[in-house]
Amino acid sequence: MADLVSHPDEVKIVSKRFGQGATDIDRYLELDGYKAVQKALGIGPDALINEVKNSGLRGRGGAGFNTGMKWSFVPKQSPRPKYVLCNGDESEPGTCKDRLIFEHDPHSVIEGVVIAGLSVESHVGYIYIRGEYRYLSNIMQKAIKDAYARGFLGKNIFGSGYDFDVYWHGGAGAYEVGEESALMESLEGKRGIPRIRPPFPAVVGLWGGPTIINNAETLASVPHIILGGAEWYASLGPPRNGGTRLFCLSGHVARPGVYELPMGYNLKKMIYEVAGGIADGRRLKAVVPGGASTPCLTAEEVDVPMDFDSLMKAGSMLGSGGVVVLDDSTCMVKFALRTMQFYQHESCGWCIPCREGTDWLKKTLARFHAGEGVKKDIDNIQYLAENMLGRTFCPLGDAAAMPTIAFIKKFRKEFEDHLEGRPCPFEKEGVVKQLPVFA
Amino acid sequence: MADVNITLDGKKLTAPAGTLLIEACKNAGIEVPSFCYYPGFSLQGACRMCLVKIEKVPKLQTACTTVIGEGMIVTTDSPEIHQARKSMVELLLGNHPLDCPVCDAGGECELQDMTFAYGAAESKYIDIKNHREEQQWSPVVYFDRPRCILCYRCVRVCGEGMDVWALGIQNRGVASVIAPNKEDHLECEECGMCIDICPVGALTSGAYRYKTRPWEMKHIDTTCTHCGDGCRTTLGVRRADTGIEIVRGDNRDKSGINGDFLCIKGRYAFDFVDNEQRIKQPLIRKDGRLTPSSWEEAFELIGRRFAEICGREGGRAIGVIGSSKTSNEENYLLQKFARVVLGTNNIDHHRTGDFPAFARALAGKLDATASMRDVFKAPAMLVIGNDPTNQHPLLAWQIRNNVRLHRSRLYVINSQPIKLRRQATAFAHIPAGSEAKLVALLAGDDSVLDVLVSENTPREALLSLRDRLRGEQNLVIIFGAELRGEEMARLVKVGSAVSGAKFVCLGDYANSRGAADMGLYPDLLPGYLPVTQGKTFREEWGGLPDAPGLTIPQMVDAAKAGQLKALYVVGANPVARFNIDPFAFAKSFVVMQDMFLTETALIADVVLPGANAYEKSGTFTNTCGDLQLLRKAGEVTGTKPDFEIIVRIAERMGFDVRKLVPFGGGMWADMGQSRGAQSGEADRHSVWLEAHGLETKLSPFDPMAILDEIQRLVPGYHVSRRTLLSGTDQHTRIGGPGILHNPELIVPANDDLFTSGTLGRYSRALNSVLENQRRKPVETEVAAD
Amino acid sequence: MCILRDIAAIAKGMSVTFREMFRPTIVENYPKGPGPLRGARFEERYRGVHVLQRDENGLEKCVACFLCAAACPSNCIYIEAAENTAEHRVSGAERYAQVYNIDYNRCIFCGYCVEACPTDAITHGHGFELATFNVSNLIYRKEQLLAPRPAHLGANAVFNRAEVEGGAPPVVAPGE
Repeated sequence: MADLVSHPDEVKIVSKRFGQGATDIDRYLELDGYKAVQKALGIGPDALINEVKNSGLRGRGGAGFNTGMKWSFVPKQSPRPKYVLCNGDESEPGTCKDRLIFEHDPHSVIEGVVIAGLSVESHVGYIYIRGEYRYLSNIMQKAIKDAYARGFLGKNIFGSGYDFDVYWHGGAGAYEVGEESALMESLEGKRGIPRIRPPFPAVVGLWGGPTIINNAETLASVPHIILGGAEWYASLGPPRNGGTRLFCLSGHVARPGVYELPMGYNLKKMIYEVAGGIADGRRLKAVVPGGASTPCLTAEEVDVPMDFDSLMKAGSMLGSGGVVVLDDSTCMVKFALRTMQFYQHESCGWCIPCREGTDWLKKTLARFHAGEGVKKDIDNIQYLAENMLGRTFCPLGDAAAMPTIAFIKKFRKEFEDHLEGRPCPFEKEGVVKQLPVFA
Repeated sequence: MADVNITLDGKKLTAPAGTLLIEACKNAGIEVPSFCYYPGFSLQGACRMCLVKIEKVPKLQTACTTVIGEGMIVTTDSPEIHQARKSMVELLLGNHPLDCPVCDAGGECELQDMTFAYGAAESKYIDIKNHREEQQWSPVVYFDRPRCILCYRCVRVCGEGMDVWALGIQNRGVASVIAPNKEDHLECEECGMCIDICPVGALTSGAYRYKTRPWEMKHIDTTCTHCGDGCRTTLGVRRADTGIEIVRGDNRDKSGINGDFLCIKGRYAFDFVDNEQRIKQPLIRKDGRLTPSSWEEAFELIGRRFAEICGREGGRAIGVIGSSKTSNEENYLLQKFARVVLGTNNIDHHRTGDFPAFARALAGKLDATASMRDVFKAPAMLVIGNDPTNQHPLLAWQIRNNVRLHRSRLYVINSQPIKLRRQATAFAHIPAGSEAKLVALLAGDDSVLDVLVSENTPREALLSLRDRLRGEQNLVIIFGAELRGEEMARLVKVGSAVSGAKFVCLGDYANSRGAADMGLYPDLLPGYLPVTQGKTFREEWGGLPDAPGLTIPQMVDAAKAGQLKALYVVGANPVARFNIDPFAFAKSFVVMQDMFLTETALIADVVLPGANAYEKSGTFTNTCGDLQLLRKAGEVTGTKPDFEIIVRIAERMGFDVRKLVPFGGGMWADMGQSRGAQSGEADRHSVWLEAHGLETKLSPFDPMAILDEIQRLVPGYHVSRRTLLSGTDQHTRIGGPGILHNPELIVPANDDLFTSGTLGRYSRALNSVLENQRRKPVETEVAAD
Repeated sequence: MCILRDIAAIAKGMSVTFREMFRPTIVENYPKGPGPLRGARFEERYRGVHVLQRDENGLEKCVACFLCAAACPSNCIYIEAAENTAEHRVSGAERYAQVYNIDYNRCIFCGYCVEACPTDAITHGHGFELATFNVSNLIYRKEQLLAPRPAHLGANAVFNRAEVEGGAPPVVAPGE
């Protein structure tokens, strides 16, 4: 279990109870636990959805869709049961925020799931936890068990006459299942492969029922919105980007860790002040602002506010909030290769561009990094990535293509330095080691 | 459904709401390429070849998953789209082994076509391709993994189409691979649909592998000779030193009644034709041994003996046994030969369905029989008895896919838990032999309930089944040989109460229905006309024996009593089928014509090498009554079609052949000069004739000559000749008064997927599959997904 | 004058004769020349009787893809394909030509088959002495068209991989 970090600029909302023993239900109740659900039980579905809509809460998983809006798409009447899904399949390299929520504050996720359930009049919720997070499932199982024991879940929750069941489900270790429809397939016991859309999950989702599916952080934010009010939450961030967000700062920084900062916090400030600057007195080279799937920013581009819209303007994406900082000792070709190895390994293999594209990108980059590259490889890598972009079945192909295009565009010089039989200039003693296989 | 207006490449069109964009494009004559999209199966969106531009949508969209919407403006080809498709082909070719010169699919490969269309011939990649070894999944299915482009067609056709679910996907990402259900091999129905549907050469057929190339063969559409369903099969043939060799059977032309379907027998079991045990010259018993002789000698002997017996004892002393696997023309000719030349009604065949009783039950009701195509469209179906999955694979396919695609309701009543129950809305598991009781229940007799109720099927289930059936419309009722005679009549009566009900009576062999229709009965003329009422035939043929003749068991008794002096067996194996004591015919002169020395050869005095259905032209009528064309595909030197043999025997008996086969009425034209002299060139003369809707009937051995007479005289066979000749199936009505026979005379064939009467024994493919199954015990059926 | 003019003309003519007498002969002395070709010389590009090539292991290059037969404008190539097995390996790929006939009654030596060949198996050799008294002699079988097995095969175990790796017998093409 990792040590927690903190910084004075943090606005602790989701991370409020981190490190306070909130896994224990009594302690959680002391820290205003389960008050939001009780309040929500008296509000009514439409008002609940409006409250979340007004708070400006946008999905924390990566796409950044307005959460209240998403909930409002669920039809009122449905012949099939409705479901609430918590997407805890956090697998994006650079992102480790949901892990802390499950580890320190599991009840807030349960609470969020129940409130989401109330807003769409669903009676069943699933919390899907990433396969590699096995050790968190015990915590989550205990939290669910405790909540059942107190009558917070199950029949007649809080004596309100409303029934709500929550189950946890562990993944089998696939990044792809972070995609919402693939997660549903996985939950149904099938191969984790995305579904054809439309129909969207809000209409036809898990087992054909209308389903809302949200990131764990999104759902953990909901109880705070209900308690604190939509205006308060919205006021924390810039317009249309309500609230705070867990940023996972990693890489070559002095104090890596998960910090809860308001939306729109400046990235440069985040690196140099919150995380304590670049380690070992080196210089900043590039930043991946939102997890491995987002295009990187060069050292000159880092002066941007960290919210969905500003980063979009800067040519990148906020993604899942995993900020990876690279210093000037990093070989960008190796970094591109490492990223592509991940996507090659995690591609589900369903559609041609992603399955074949990631494999060829990996092969080409591996050869290139080892000094066997030829000049046309650079253009070929870009050609390949550009031809994957926007043509795959699900966003995984885009996630693999976008950073690759950015690497080539922004660091072409470094690629050219690998040409003509020269080994990687960043490797010590000129030896290119076999990269570890990601498994 | 209401129509929707769309604009495709600037063309304004309307199409029914709910149409997929790719289908709308196809209907408008715009080709949108695709690998993974296949009509009738679930959508995948995996190959990304069908990307099109839809106005107001930022990204390119897949046409195969997009349903057309009002006012949609679509561009199907632009530099952007072309580049997208080209890059998909490039990516596929990245790992695809370019062994086209060796690959079986070379020349009919969709990936090749796409590469030509999008010009992705040059590879950008210089890294090593991923390679995996080829696998043999079963005696007839090979899988070359690197060639696979993962379009998942095989997975879907096996699961959704066949309900076998033997194929799946293993691993993920670039390591994804199609995998068989039992680790490294398949345990399935071996239908080979996966091979047929594979757009590349990843799945190859064990029977055809590396033998030739698609353009080297001539492709001939004909009708399958195995079960009673009458699938169209396309035979690829090539020259061989033994005549014309059949190298491949497949389903190239999807326009037959079977659409996409073909089972193991249609696909692989053509290989009995070149079995080494095939007889290739006539055999005459001399000193107790069958010794090779010449055709002339054999005909001389048969003609002389038949004429002798006829002259001395009359036709009564000769029996004729016909076949359920010979063509309509041959069957008609055979019974005409028996009645006119031999002057006897002693003609019978191996009966597998009670068609005369069916005709009798339906008398007066036109359009009460369902065609094979009707089964696919019916809103509701009732199957009583039989196991279509094993005995009528095409019928089972039609039923399954009707349920899957049209949400048709299926009711299954059977004494066994047959596989079709998985598609059934309601399944009544009744005790064996109680089918007749069930008909009584359906008719409203509740007293039989006690017999029918079992722990699997409670009383309420049976009653609710009856209620549901009564509420149906346009029901298709399919029944097997469990229902015969009066019981069948009762079912037809009950069923007819449902408005628009249609019936299918199941017979087992390829032309069982045709043999019945053509009057291979001792008491029935063609068209189920009792011999006593045969006025038209009497006038046409100039006389007929009046009294009904002998059935097969009666012939045996007559032979034992020394009254039957001769027996003429055409393409049948009565000794094995009816378990006849071979010594019964010790004193009779037995002539047999067949492909192999079957058990019946034990009693034969003369054995004539006949040809099978793949080696002759003519027509077959399937069990539903659909008339289809047979085209000559193969040829084995030394054999003769049964038609020719019958005519020659008649000639040798001194009969005027012109009275038997009305030939010479067709076209006279110079055959020699207009025919292309070079091998491989089209036969221009036949092309010309076909273009003008004409046929040649120059020879007494031409079955088309007698088809005229059949169409003129047999009720129900007045179908369009031109449509028939174009290769389209024509539904015939079952006519005539019919008659009630002793139900005991019906002996179901009880073939399953891997056997086919006597033919199956001589098929290497079927035997290898059976042997393989014996080695590996078959487990219980796989649960549907 | 007249005589002088005649003598001059003859001298001029004879001077050419004498000059050429001491130059090397250009006319080929086929079929009475030296060597196995009996004095015939060929340009490399000459399209003579076809040769079916072998690869470096002595296996036949032809994989019986039928493309030469398809390309042939005079329809003179006849092929029957068969599958290679581990015990009987004839070509490098899965399939080989069991029968490969070229009918030189029909062949027009256009070279399309060579163009079409994806494995460079069929090439034009320089053979041209095809004349025969019997047309059936003009149908050349595979055995007549095949290039001889490379001399190094069998002579040195290193070249014969099958022998080095043990087990499989040395490759022998049918007809040899």
